[in-house]
Amino acid sequence: MSQLSKVKTLIALAVLGAAGVGGTFAVEGAQRFWANWLVWFLFIATIGLGSLFIVALEHLVGARWSVPIRRVPERLASLVLLAIPVGVIALGALPALYPWAHEGAQLSAKVTAKLVWLNVPFFSGRAIGCLLLWAVAWLFFVRGSLRQDTSHDHRFTIRAKRFAPLYMFLFALSVTLLAFDWVSALEPEWYSDIFGVYIFAGSFLGALAASVLCVLGLKDRRRLDGVRADHVYNLGGFLFAFTVFWSYIGFAQYMLMWYANMPEEVYWYKARIEGPWMVLFLTMGVCHFIIPFFALVPRDAKSDPKRLRFVATLMLAAHLFDLYWLVFPSVAKTPLLGWPELSFAAFFLGVAGLWLHRAFKSGRDMPVGDPFLAEGLEFHL
Amino acid sequence: MRDPTFAVLGLFDSAQALVDAIPPVKSAGLGALEAYTPYPIHGIDPKLGFRRSPLGGMVFVMGVLGAVTALFFEWWMSAIDYPTLIGGKALFSWQAFVPVMFEVTVLFATFTAGLGMLMLLNKLPLFGHPMLAARSMTGITRDRFALGIEGDGERLLDVDACTAVLTAAGAVEVEVVPALVNPGWTATFATRSIFGIVVACLVSGVGMYWGIKLFHVLPPMVHMQEQPKLMPFEPSTFFADGRGMQPPAPGSVARGHLPYTFKALEDALSLPNPLPATDKVLARGKKEYGEHCTVCHGALGDGVTTLTAAYGAKPANFHTQTLREYTDGKLYHTIVVGKNAMPSYAVDLTEEERWSVVHYIRALQRAQNARPEDVP
Repeated sequence: MSQLSKVKTLIALAVLGAAGVGGTFAVEGAQRFWANWLVWFLFIATIGLGSLFIVALEHLVGARWSVPIRRVPERLASLVLLAIPVGVIALGALPALYPWAHEGAQLSAKVTAKLVWLNVPFFSGRAIGCLLLWAVAWLFFVRGSLRQDTSHDHRFTIRAKRFAPLYMFLFALSVTLLAFDWVSALEPEWYSDIFGVYIFAGSFLGALAASVLCVLGLKDRRRLDGVRADHVYNLGGFLFAFTVFWSYIGFAQYMLMWYANMPEEVYWYKARIEGPWMVLFLTMGVCHFIIPFFALVPRDAKSDPKRLRFVATLMLAAHLFDLYWLVFPSVAKTPLLGWPELSFAAFFLGVAGLWLHRAFKSGRDMPVGDPFLAEGLEFHL
Repeated sequence: MRDPTFAVLGLFDSAQALVDAIPPVKSAGLGALEAYTPYPIHGIDPKLGFRRSPLGGMVFVMGVLGAVTALFFEWWMSAIDYPTLIGGKALFSWQAFVPVMFEVTVLFATFTAGLGMLMLLNKLPLFGHPMLAARSMTGITRDRFALGIEGDGERLLDVDACTAVLTAAGAVEVEVVPALVNPGWTATFATRSIFGIVVACLVSGVGMYWGIKLFHVLPPMVHMQEQPKLMPFEPSTFFADGRGMQPPAPGSVARGHLPYTFKALEDALSLPNPLPATDKVLARGKKEYGEHCTVCHGALGDGVTTLTAAYGAKPANFHTQTLREYTDGKLYHTIVVGKNAMPSYAVDLTEEERWSVVHYIRALQRAQNARPEDVP
């Protein structure tokens, strides 16, 4: 497909989706509209954040092998910018989805005690603060890296190394806020200390999957010459390891709550594993852990493009599915999947596709100004 | 005849030079190839003509076996062999089993990886390796890369041909490594081994002593012992009455021990046995009778045991006319409240067990007073 027709398809997808999105609000009501919007906001934000995390991680630990493929997560990280308008609009979801933001809602004593934290002005302030923080981090890491392409100024690499630890701290804080505020607060009585880590695991995994797909795609188009099976193997290894990490965190949270069986914790899971949700819960376990784990166990699988493409696509879908499973049981007794969900998917895939299409044209395909690029290309396992 | 040469080594200055030298040396076909490098070079194995290591498959199989073993043991122990209800969960609660399954999987897999690699594939314990005596070994552990042509067990190594091939392939230096004549017990090896064992014993002994005797009395470990806790039959400040073991709340009823409301025998006489005389009930009655009644009433129920002879007591003989005419209710009542020297068995036997014992006593009586039609 030529560049132009690809853009046309994406625009058509977005326009078609936009009609459905508007229709959802008019026909199906505000709740379903906002629940879908929230899922897609979280999807875009977590993929962008995870990509920014990959970039910051490379600077933090001084990794060399990933320098040749760093431009891919850097470009994917531009999704955190797309997340700003989507997130600001998502603030409109507060009265529709979050019980504590209803006018005159009946709240239990446990929730009223949390109103110091959970109120519309403070929530919006935190949300916008986080979005701005990620935008600043994007400006620093990605714009700096793009400028280095022409300037070949090695001072950026040093500055990035210095800023990375601070960003990691702020990232941990902000991703936890993202998880607690946007997802946990849907059911304000429920709480889980590990929930931020759970969202982080999903976001890192989603970003890795997206990076794997883009690296393989660019390699096919001969835009990443010099990136060899060794680099791909490392990405595959990361994908494999963090599949287990996600499952470990997810299961740890589930098992402790299942074991303690405390009403204020367990009702959250009850809503998510009872009736038809059980099917989703099991499907997620299979798609998010069992299939990727066994698909990536063999050594050769971690650098096999066909296998990696399959696992990465599955993983992205499972991540979206995971967010759906987190959000929707708060608003619906049974899983909702109909034209509204499909048009939201079309709209956001179209918009994000256009956004990334533009991002993947920015700068060079490899950070040619990075002083460690040669060393990264030399990387052997 | 033993090959006096273990290998002919060609030394190279870089990993790339070593890798490049493999095809010409391999095509010469003078022996098996092996590479000695300061760090692992990924992807060199197939070039040297190695088969894929079976270790990965072994680890996978053992890991799966570990998970299955753990699941089987947990299921067998907590759902079949000794069913214990914990927190109202189902006996087979897979959620609770997962952590153990995970750990056992890791245990089996790592042990297989470690021991399989060392013992099965690298053939430890090995008393010595000819390469350890090679002159170029110090270089190989630092910045040299060696390609060795080793004997394949069928023919002797042609040292001159090997040297020529290696030099032609770009080796900067060639060394001939002699085979170890007797890689076994030498005086040095024996001395070192014994010294090593003695040191290991000393270290582990001191460590064990420290761990067992001292470790737990050091703070903060000692806090585990000093914490306030309830001890059986000890006073405690936890409760107002100063007792550690609290009596049950008034009116509480132990499981399986509903209060027996019949004070007088007359009320209990007509109680029917609520249990059917099935094999299962009789087996249970036999078990309980054997544990609680046989000691005085005897295995046959005739009241003759060693105990009666020793103490001169006269336990009831179930086969007398009087006892045979007892109603089920009367037998049950006697078990609950006792009679003469016989104490109450209300605490020892649950209601179901008492009625099972009544059934079994009936069976004993029938056995000693069989009718002709009972004989098969």
